[in-house]
Amino acid sequence: METTKDRLTIQTPEQVGFEYVLAGLGSRTAAFLVDTVIRWFFVIVILVLVALFHKFLPVLDLSAWVTDLSKTWLIALAVLAYGLVDLGYFLFFEALWSGQTPGKRRQRLRVIRMNGQPIGWLESSIRNILRAVDLVGGVYPVGIVVVFLSGNNQRIGDYAAGTVVIVERKQGVPRDRKQALSPQVLTHPEIEWYVSRLKPAQYQVLRSFLERREQMDQDHRHELARLLSHQLLKKMARSSRMSMSYESFIEEVVASYEKRRRAI
Amino acid sequence: MENDTPVGTEKKYIVRLAGLKPGASRETLVQALQRLFKGKSEEEIGKALERLPLVLSRSVTEETAKKIKLFLESQGAILKITYSASAIMAPPKEMRRSEITPARPMPETDESAPAGVERRAKPRVHTGIHVKPMGVGEILDRSFRLLRQYFWLFFIIIFIPEAVLFVVNFGMQSLHPASMALRRSASMWAGFGISAVLAGLIFLVLQFWAQGALIYAVSETYLGHSTSIKGSYGAMRKRLGRLIGTMILWSILVFGVPVLFGIIAAVAVPGLAMMGLGGIFTGIISLVAVILAVWIFTTLFLNWLLVDKVVVVEESGWMKALRRSKELMKGRTEPGFWKSIKTKASLIILVGLIIGIGIHFLFQLPGVLLGIVFPGGILTMMIQGILNSAAASLATVYAAIAMILFYYDIRVRKEGFDLKMMAEKL
Repeated sequence: METTKDRLTIQTPEQVGFEYVLAGLGSRTAAFLVDTVIRWFFVIVILVLVALFHKFLPVLDLSAWVTDLSKTWLIALAVLAYGLVDLGYFLFFEALWSGQTPGKRRQRLRVIRMNGQPIGWLESSIRNILRAVDLVGGVYPVGIVVVFLSGNNQRIGDYAAGTVVIVERKQGVPRDRKQALSPQVLTHPEIEWYVSRLKPAQYQVLRSFLERREQMDQDHRHELARLLSHQLLKKMARSSRMSMSYESFIEEVVASYEKRRRAI
Repeated sequence: MENDTPVGTEKKYIVRLAGLKPGASRETLVQALQRLFKGKSEEEIGKALERLPLVLSRSVTEETAKKIKLFLESQGAILKITYSASAIMAPPKEMRRSEITPARPMPETDESAPAGVERRAKPRVHTGIHVKPMGVGEILDRSFRLLRQYFWLFFIIIFIPEAVLFVVNFGMQSLHPASMALRRSASMWAGFGISAVLAGLIFLVLQFWAQGALIYAVSETYLGHSTSIKGSYGAMRKRLGRLIGTMILWSILVFGVPVLFGIIAAVAVPGLAMMGLGGIFTGIISLVAVILAVWIFTTLFLNWLLVDKVVVVEESGWMKALRRSKELMKGRTEPGFWKSIKTKASLIILVGLIIGIGIHFLFQLPGVLLGIVFPGGILTMMIQGILNSAAASLATVYAAIAMILFYYDIRVRKEGFDLKMMAEKL
């Protein structure tokens, strides 16, 4: 059975443990892909600017020092600009955005120090300068192997900087009840009776169904609603005819359960 | 609806096979049914099981119904027993115990399961395992975790055909008529050609077998069960013919249709040019033809991306498997372009490709360097071959695992099969 959790637990001096989910190779590669697209965009912009500068420079004739600038110097400037974008992109974003780049933000990843603190300029510089070692040929051949063998999914840059990439927790904002429940909630006299015998695990399954039913195919949705209702009624050893749909029945049970729980 | 009216022996019952209990083996049930229907072959019963609910008998006595029920339920079947005459009186208590729907809320739709739902094989999910909808990042990370945990299992499954290919290649290179100092006769070339074709066919069969075995192994481990290399290959034996056939059909359609389109365009465009149409016009037509061919290929490829998983997990095949794959790949489960099923699939393929390139780069670089330092040596060739085979296996395995988890994710989202499993255990 799959048992590895890929989690990092950090203990504070007060013996309080913080658990982080470590980002794996896949999500990090996906974030890198997004960042690469953005970096390419920057590089193309620079190249276009250099090309335009080169074409219109003699026409503009701005000043003596500019016109003396040779083609070689322009190419050198372009290479320097590319280098700055290539290295600076990760370095600046991670230092300024508390360990995130646009790609990492999209994938909900963040670089943190091994003690859980946010990274600074030093950590960002070390891990991104050493990116060159991991990133031979633009596809992280060394990085892939090192991450695979590392217990904390760290590449060489992470080891050197003492950092780790984690998956940020989803914001635990409860979904609007109205999203899960239909507007026309029916009331059945026996609902309270069902709810009083409902276990938390059963409630979780019903709740998950209501939250995810919009994503499901119609046939499977009805089938699942029927199965859930039948299982629920069978468990409660109750047999009565009710003139309401399966989904309405589940909605009512869930709504009553939540109402009852709030009251408690 | 329910009453305890004694049932007379003259009453007759209809016995229906409604489905399989979670975790029940289809093969065991087929064998059990063969004991009941001695004249029927395993294949006939297997086909009948695909059309559930299945009427086993329309008119049996109470005692026989009880016996059938006890026997088949012990083999993992879910039975439904009703009176053949009328449904006014309920069957005896022993039979009523496991009935699916004694008295329930009024349905808003038909009571029966949607077409095709019951006949699809239900994956066995271990009670302790956590199956839930995942984002692309989660799918990719979980694939990585799974690969790390079962590295040798997955790697060796995929490596076997590559190793065979390497051995055959190496053997053929050393036996190649051109490299032999012996007389190079026509019959020798013919023999070599036949051997090469045979070797190619064996490799093809092994490749599909490994592909199926990997899907089986990943499914088992993902759903919380254990398996072995032998067990995974063994489980694929019965499905191998169907998998090979379906995958050949898949290849013909995915690659053949765009190629056919390209051939038609290649013939039509010069024809139009000869008819006196301008260069710009034929250029535009050529461009449109190329775009259309790429679009056809991409659409067919993405629609039928899950066909191998369908064949292995759902025991379906041929056009049915292609239709099922298309059904899974169509529509959207979440709002937004980046979360559409086909975009997610493309992203997973892209990430797999990048990681694959990285692995190839890492493994093939030493071989290339070795070739520069010691060119032409047998040992160099052997090392290069081993490294290439290992690279090909490693590059394939990660993307393959991610696609299998992606298949399960679609089923979790669209069919709520995790909820179905939980509902059955409620």
